[in-house]
Amino acid sequence: MFYDEPRFLPGGDRFMVIEFGDELNLELNFRGQGLAQLIGENKLKGIIETAPFFASILIHYDPETIAFDDLQVEMTRLIASVTTLDDVELNSRLIYFPAVYLDPWSSEAIDQYIEKINPNKERDPAFIAKLNHLTDEAQFVRVHSGTEYWVAALGFWPGTPFMMPLDPRCRLFAPKYNPPRTFTYKGTIGMGGGATAIYPVDGPGGYQIFARTPVPIWDMKQRLQPFKAAPYLLRPTDRMKFIHCSLEEFAAIERQCEEGTYEMNVVGYQKISLKRYREWVATLDHTARF
Amino acid sequence: MLEVIKPGLETSIQDWPGRYGFLNVGFPWSGPMDAWSFRLANCLVGNAPGAAALECQFIGPTLKFHRPTVIALTGAEMQGTIDGVPLPLWESIAVNAGATLEMRFAKTGARGYLAIAGGIQNEAFFGSRATFHKGGLGGMEGHAIKAGQTIPVGVGASKAGRKVRLSARPPLVTDKRWQVEVVAGPNDDWIDAAGHARFLAMDWKLSSKSDRGGFRLEGPEWTFTHRAHHKLPEHGSDPANIVDHGYPVGAINLAGQTPIILVNDGPSGGGFINPYTVPQCAFWKLGQSKPGETYRFHVISVVEAQARARALTALCTESSIE
Repeated sequence: MFYDEPRFLPGGDRFMVIEFGDELNLELNFRGQGLAQLIGENKLKGIIETAPFFASILIHYDPETIAFDDLQVEMTRLIASVTTLDDVELNSRLIYFPAVYLDPWSSEAIDQYIEKINPNKERDPAFIAKLNHLTDEAQFVRVHSGTEYWVAALGFWPGTPFMMPLDPRCRLFAPKYNPPRTFTYKGTIGMGGGATAIYPVDGPGGYQIFARTPVPIWDMKQRLQPFKAAPYLLRPTDRMKFIHCSLEEFAAIERQCEEGTYEMNVVGYQKISLKRYREWVATLDHTARF
Repeated sequence: MLEVIKPGLETSIQDWPGRYGFLNVGFPWSGPMDAWSFRLANCLVGNAPGAAALECQFIGPTLKFHRPTVIALTGAEMQGTIDGVPLPLWESIAVNAGATLEMRFAKTGARGYLAIAGGIQNEAFFGSRATFHKGGLGGMEGHAIKAGQTIPVGVGASKAGRKVRLSARPPLVTDKRWQVEVVAGPNDDWIDAAGHARFLAMDWKLSSKSDRGGFRLEGPEWTFTHRAHHKLPEHGSDPANIVDHGYPVGAINLAGQTPIILVNDGPSGGGFINPYTVPQCAFWKLGQSKPGETYRFHVISVVEAQARARALTALCTESSIE
């Protein structure tokens, strides 16, 4: 849902959280991204940094420069200055990610979890298929890979994308692991709530997992061209599309990434318009599946 | 130049306030957990309060100085000696070229700070010298210091015998029980009245599964308001799940039933609620507590928390040196 008025919430003595609503929706994310952009352009005194998420924005402010109440007044004014998002067009790169769905590495991590932590855990792909009333794992794979994903935010770990499907026919939901998994391979693709993410490094995790990409999103060695400016690849407002690949292709691409010879498929000329997106979404049967 | 003989337990270079400006790509601030002791260590040796210095956790390092300088130890009592001679805390000390500083386990407190005149001059990464050890960035080669490394140190003018007056030192507890300030929110309306009452009335034990990313707490059950149980599926199915959002540094993040205080190297966002947030004036208490010790939380307002941070910053200056 969209809140009638944004909610201003304190986070200790130096953070404000502004919530615009509580669902995964491109328009809510546009509001957060738009506000972050406006704050940057207006160079507001006392705001140190911002972090927009799906339907909210985190603001780190300096209380010695601006009080919480004054910041709320300023933010209300800025938010009100955006009367319509219809004319907003954001530059949006499209990045293709080869991925093996129903891959052996996720399967291994799930086996380990079932063996050591929770013997009753249903295997992730079948579990998500069932929860979302899909016929089987194969349809789940079709649906999950059938859409472009919108990078709504980066966070949790450096460079980790929080993504939502842009095609409403591909919306899926899944609970998070409870308790969390102790191990996940780098490059594993998973989802929790309605969000999809890629694990940037080996580590623990809470998302349901079902696929893996050989292409890095985080590389301190900055081997591939898109990493030359920073060790992270993605930016909010990027889009990602998963392309099926075989285990042999995975191995070959993984090697090329290690060697720094992989040519990443980044498309850089497109913009995304909220108005056009809304018009397109309105033509679709939201109960349809691929 | 400072040679690492023994690294200690994840001893890291930190600066204050750390790596600001990159929460939107997921870089935590890092920086010292007890910024009170840290800043005063720098003041003692004539550095800016935020200059890069070492944070020693639980077991300190052994270091060899290759030229004469002035140092200061603050925070936890880690039994520091120079060539076997015990060193005082909260006082600037002259060291000779070739001297060896040995620190041992923390007798009181958990984190000791070592500042060196001129400050540590490791290469800055994204505007800060602070180490994010788990993330492999900042510090020395991205991590805590290792045996055999040479830490670059600047040149500073300072003198020995400068002391922090007693009233300006953090009052470390000796009974393992800490009173910690919290500010309600951002998601306090997800917890019901009984849940809030339990949180504030009970002792919370610091779990051994805690580090610079998160402080896990063990304590009573949490109970929730209506909205935590009746929400859209994109929040996730657990009552503590929320549509992924940004996490304030210091947030008491409720991972299912386990509260985790997100500290200096913590995640910048995720899908759990944050009913309370520890303000910066109480961070030093987190930094100086050991696993097994307990916290009792009490609520202060945003304005009160800001006033206390201001008072603390005023203490971390030359005015506290005698």
